[in-house]
Amino acid sequence: MNSFVLIKQVPDQSAKAGVNADGTIDRAKAKRMLNPFDCFALEAALQTKRLYGATVTAITMGPPPAIEILYEAIAHGVDRAVHLCDRRLAASDTLATAYALYNTVRYAGAFDLVFCGLQTTDGDTAQVGPQLAERLQVPQVTYCESFEVQRDKLIARRVTESGTQVVECPLPSVVTVANSAHRLAYKTLRGVQRVHQLQRDEVERNQVIRTVSLDDIQADPVRCGLKGSPTIVAATEKVGEIGGKCVLFQGKSIDTMVSGLLTDISLAELVQR
Amino acid sequence: MKQVLIFAEQTAGELRPVALELLGAGRQLADKLGASLSCVVMGHTITHLPSLLIAGGADLVYIADNPALETYRTLPYRRVFIDLIASMEEPPHIILLGSTTTGRDLAPRIAAYLETGLTADCTELDIGPYEHTSALDPTKVGLYENCLYAIRPSFGESLKARILGPWKNPQMATVRPSVMIALPVDTARQGAVQEIPVVLQAEDLGLVVLETLRAVSESVELAKADVIVSGGYGLGSTEGFGLIHELASCFENSAVGSSRKAVDSGWIAHAHQVGQTGKTVRPKLYIACGISGAIQHRVGMDKSATIIAINRDANAPIFKFAHYGIVGDLYQIIPEMIQQLKQGTPSNISKAGEANVLTYTL
Ligand SMILES: Cc1cc2nc3c(=O)[nH]c(=O)nc-3n(C[C@H](O)[C@H](O)[C@H](O)COP(=O)(O)OP(=O)(O)OC[C@H]3O[C@@H](n4cnc5c(N)ncnc54)[C@H](O)[C@@H]3O)c2cc1C
Ligand SMILES: Nc1ncnc2c1ncn2[C@@H]1O[C@H](COP(=O)(O)O)[C@@H](O)[C@H]1O
Repeated sequence: MNSFVLIKQVPDQSAKAGVNADGTIDRAKAKRMLNPFDCFALEAALQTKRLYGATVTAITMGPPPAIEILYEAIAHGVDRAVHLCDRRLAASDTLATAYALYNTVRYAGAFDLVFCGLQTTDGDTAQVGPQLAERLQVPQVTYCESFEVQRDKLIARRVTESGTQVVECPLPSVVTVANSAHRLAYKTLRGVQRVHQLQRDEVERNQVIRTVSLDDIQADPVRCGLKGSPTIVAATEKVGEIGGKCVLFQGKSIDTMVSGLLTDISLAELVQR
Repeated sequence: MKQVLIFAEQTAGELRPVALELLGAGRQLADKLGASLSCVVMGHTITHLPSLLIAGGADLVYIADNPALETYRTLPYRRVFIDLIASMEEPPHIILLGSTTTGRDLAPRIAAYLETGLTADCTELDIGPYEHTSALDPTKVGLYENCLYAIRPSFGESLKARILGPWKNPQMATVRPSVMIALPVDTARQGAVQEIPVVLQAEDLGLVVLETLRAVSESVELAKADVIVSGGYGLGSTEGFGLIHELASCFENSAVGSSRKAVDSGWIAHAHQVGQTGKTVRPKLYIACGISGAIQHRVGMDKSATIIAINRDANAPIFKFAHYGIVGDLYQIIPEMIQQLKQGTPSNISKAGEANVLTYTL
């Protein structure tokens, strides 16, 4: 069984570094991190390794530093990785990203499951997973909370507004993982040792982590980056901070504060009787 | 004639509120463009829906009524949708879907199939001109009229971005629920209804829905609750949600929500998450317990009629937009609130079984 997991390096928005006064991000200065939503996808992929002996391949598209998250993935137990890194990918929107990742997935070989995060914290669209599935012409299970593989089928639970759905989906397919069931476990000792080894040994590194260009994966550069993106960000505008008036109860005894609150607002019609 | 097309989402024969909100937003765009407003609705035994959609603003309703479409599934819905667009003389100028789990599942597939632009989770829409001057991509340079301005929060919502893709129609967007305003229902409105063919291929039918477990908890959807009690990272543990449930059960038609950090910590299912990557809610009363009020949480709940915050940090951002706040330890405040609420209404008996939370881990 082959599982792929798509992960992205994103700026750490909680760190102050690299966040400009106007709220935009200076990617050169910002701290970098593995997209938090992709941790859940990574854990889901590793679960197929633990339970079904799958070989797990991590795939990322991004500038050179993005190799850091591939090391991180290997430390968690991923077997091999592909890093798509090419200047011509700059300014890709989701359609162009999905096209480039589609070619990377094809380059990486046959798969049973492709796991994606729910969304990225910078691109923030939740579109790349389904757009990739469309390119690959396979079914998809989005908002997946937990799953099992039974013979050649995926049995998955997905969360929707009105409850949970259990679906049975043929393989191969694309799964986007919701953030709850799959908390990323600790790095494995073996994984961490392997990363140290790879960092020292360039020959082995190049075998385990393939860094590829658009030419290597035979992607059409016209469909990537700025040229391949049907949308652009035409303007940005700062959103004003709101400052409402809050009636604040503090520094008194608990029962005084609570009764103060409950007499201030009329909850009568909402209270259960 | 130019067309603005919206996807009218329904479950079990009932329109989702976002369908009518999209008609409200779509009507404005269509009027600005001098276009007609059409919508597509799919499902089974839904012949009662077109009249509601017309009363909600549609000029034309495409309806696909078929047993295979009863419950939403990506590929059958995708097939009917792309076949509909292929049957049109020219593609719609604009296509809008709600950014619900269904809309966000379907829209990217259609956009990728059509190789057109799609903007996620918009909070404002408009029509206007755009001049592209950057010669980095010479094929894009020019002045474009009647562009869809798809406006959405970005970079953790401290910025609004206006996203455009006038080079190819349809220009697509998903729109956040509970943001756009539906039109007043007008049963005198005239509109046409057109049945559309449902021709599914074998590969569309591979995925089967085995089971649908309704509802988050207390069989109340977050979107429909009058009162939402939400817990955040300040709860400290999954057990803390017991207290949140108990407070919620003091109210009629209530539900339990949470912040992403509580969900990420594995304390509660994603279905309860309120905010940018969870649900947008607009209850009469929202009680935030141990939630700091990050912008991504705020956008999901700040349209609530009354917001009460309980937080031990007087400087927590949530107090900037809550209407009422108590500064203190939620483990002391909530039990006191429960007690006082129950005393205030002596006949209050918490409903049997209500504290049972459905957990979703297999
Ligand atoms: C792209 C993106 C999408 C996101 N989507 C969402 C989303 O949909 N929903 C969402 O909620 N977040 C979302 N987030 C995360 C968001 O930025 C915050 O990290 C999150 O909302 C914080 O959750 P919290 O308030 O529970 O935790 P914290 O920020 O850690 O706050 C905990 C609060 O509890 C208080 N506290 C602690 N102990 C007690 C006690 N005993 N009594 C009273 N108060 C106590 C503390 O003072 C603190 O204010 C998103 C982030 C990104 C980047
Ligand atoms: N550059 C990228 N490299 C690898 N995976 C990505 C990339 N961009 C997006 N993805 C995947 O697609 C998911 C959704 O991303 P987005 O559409 O940007 O919100 C992410 O959680 C990743 O799994």
